[in-house]
Amino acid sequence: MGNNALSRRNFLAGTSVLFVAGVATACSSGSSSSSTAGSKVTLTQWYHAYGEKGTQQAVERYASEYTKANPDIAIKINWIAGDYETRLNSALLSSDAPDLFELGDFRAANVKSGRLAPLDDILAPVKSDYAKAALDTATVNGKVYGVKMMDDVMMLYYRKSILAKAGVTPPQTFPELVAAAKKLTTGNQKGLFIGSDGVGDIPYLLLWSNGGDLVDPSGKTVTFASPEGVAAIGGLKDLNSSGALLQGFTTDWFDPSALVQNATAMQWCGLWAMPDIKKKFGDDFGVIPWPKFGDAAAPAVRVGGWYHLVNAKGKNVEAAKKYVDWLWIQQTALQKDWCVSYGFHIPSRKSVAAQTTEFSSGPAQEAAGFSQQYGHSFPAVWNKTTTTAFIQAATKIAKGGDAAGELASAAKTCQIELDHQNA
Amino acid sequence: MPSATPTRRTASRPAGGAPPRRRANWRAIGAFALLTGPMVIGLGVFKYLAIGWSFLLSFNEARGTLTPGHWVGFDNYAFLLKDDSFRSSLWMIVGFTAFIVPVTFVLSLALAVGVNSVRRGRAFFRTTFLLPAAVSYVAASLIWKMALFNGLPSGIANALGGLFGMHVQPWLSSTDPPLYWFVIVTLRLWLQVGLYMILFLAGLQSIPPHLYEAAALDGAGRWKTFRSITFPLLRHTNAAILMLVFIAAFQAFDEFFNLFNTGQAGNASAPVRPPLVYLYDSALGDQNYGVGSAGAFILTALIVVVTLVQGRLAGFGRKD
Repeated sequence: MGNNALSRRNFLAGTSVLFVAGVATACSSGSSSSSTAGSKVTLTQWYHAYGEKGTQQAVERYASEYTKANPDIAIKINWIAGDYETRLNSALLSSDAPDLFELGDFRAANVKSGRLAPLDDILAPVKSDYAKAALDTATVNGKVYGVKMMDDVMMLYYRKSILAKAGVTPPQTFPELVAAAKKLTTGNQKGLFIGSDGVGDIPYLLLWSNGGDLVDPSGKTVTFASPEGVAAIGGLKDLNSSGALLQGFTTDWFDPSALVQNATAMQWCGLWAMPDIKKKFGDDFGVIPWPKFGDAAAPAVRVGGWYHLVNAKGKNVEAAKKYVDWLWIQQTALQKDWCVSYGFHIPSRKSVAAQTTEFSSGPAQEAAGFSQQYGHSFPAVWNKTTTTAFIQAATKIAKGGDAAGELASAAKTCQIELDHQNA
Repeated sequence: MPSATPTRRTASRPAGGAPPRRRANWRAIGAFALLTGPMVIGLGVFKYLAIGWSFLLSFNEARGTLTPGHWVGFDNYAFLLKDDSFRSSLWMIVGFTAFIVPVTFVLSLALAVGVNSVRRGRAFFRTTFLLPAAVSYVAASLIWKMALFNGLPSGIANALGGLFGMHVQPWLSSTDPPLYWFVIVTLRLWLQVGLYMILFLAGLQSIPPHLYEAAALDGAGRWKTFRSITFPLLRHTNAAILMLVFIAAFQAFDEFFNLFNTGQAGNASAPVRPPLVYLYDSALGDQNYGVGSAGAFILTALIVVVTLVQGRLAGFGRKD
């Protein structure tokens, strides 16, 4: 090769810089530990990465307060970015399984696979403080397996001034929403943002806003491929072909950036983002539920929320339960701090909610009202498998696929999964 | 490397014309064991054991567990072959491979020939083209998704298209026409072409210059020289690179996963899922490790068959 040989040293010097840059961007999750020198037990706790400023510091502060009061117990917090549930599920099979973790919406399948420890003893004194639904969802065979941390309401934000300027009133029905979105699309600003992919969570909202549901109340039969479901989810096609939908934005629907940066006039987002939106626009925004699909149905909002759970197969189940008891049962001041000091979440406990003033006026109060009046939640049998099948079908429909056929085939996949869970 | 072969052959034969006889050279065996041992043990534990375990799992119903114990025979395989979305992911990857392999091959060969023929600044071009190979797929996917091909008027692709009167496109979620393919293909080419170019360059530089001189004396043009000297003498390089590109195409995962990932919701709304993303979703998302393992073996079988056929056609490993 003679003169032509690559100089290995020059080559490495040039490329290693890029390598380091690549590696640095690939890892965006972090962990921290509240350990003191004398701690005998270290509990690992997992959170998904909340987007609001100060949240990670808050959970770290809670952990170190606990360690200060209980020097024997250190808490190591893992803050997980990206696809939280997939990473959690694989970690739970390994020796790095967290002792305690949160999970968005409750999954009964985790009880069946023996992953969750029952929490009846710590919940017993405060059971009446929770909404019945929050307890029922987390109950399997008479035992409660999760402590609901907070309720997250998702709804449609709109800019009052932009709607007024365009002569548009907040839409009451789905056709009105499509028409409004088209009318609000001008120049670089689109009318509506429901997710970077043009799908987001909206298939669920369309289904609920036409009187349909995912599964029947027993949790045994898939029902989304009903005529109401086919008609309503077919509406995604109208949205996607309207030219009024913001797509390919650099953040997704759960982040308020699209609205805050004036890329859209209306955005589907969560109550958690309200402080950021208020900071930017003051009173120049309003909230409405997802409009009803036809005249016969009712509007809908999704009520999600996170449960705190204890790994039944962990080495320190009792210590982990004690920490959950301390943080999510006893420390009502910290619960309030968590729910209103960063993003907004409605406290799941009535007594804590009563201490807050944030939800007694303005859009936050309306949002709390929507959750009471129009709220829908995922059933406990709804999991990753059913989500993937359902959203894939909806994506195909959004891009022009046949609604009845796609939903029927997704329903078949979901029914197999439900039968497995109920077997 | 035809010129190297005779030397090696003479060296391996004992001097004096005595018949070759094998004698145990314990020092050599010891050194061999010492040098390869750690690698072999590592491969055994971390690869072969894991592959064997996965093979076992593929015949079990393993939902939410990695322990076999519920034998279901070929049920997982049957489920996959009947599943529309797995079958369409297989078709998708075959189509993707049929497109990306020739394109990668031709582009990197053309680049190598080009870089090899410039007189000045060869090292500069070589390094420039190779640099992207050092970027991780994750980082590159983020750049492609966030900066180059986002759906905003300010995105680079949209801004450039705007100069030519193109409308603002949501590149990754445009299915009619499927513009997301443009994003995927450019990303893969940008990352890969430089690396294969280096392999081609190494092959090019092992071609003895006197052949080119003789051809020039005989009045052969550039295209004729390429067709009659360069390409035939690159046969081994060609075959090896084809195989590498093939396997890399079948194993496509990173860019599909990262470009269409929506954060917490994962990849459900991706317009295309290659088999590995499907299997990732089955095994890690759905926690169905039996189906995930079975799919991995179906994909492996496909890769082995294609590689064997391609190796036979391209003459990989054939002696001169």
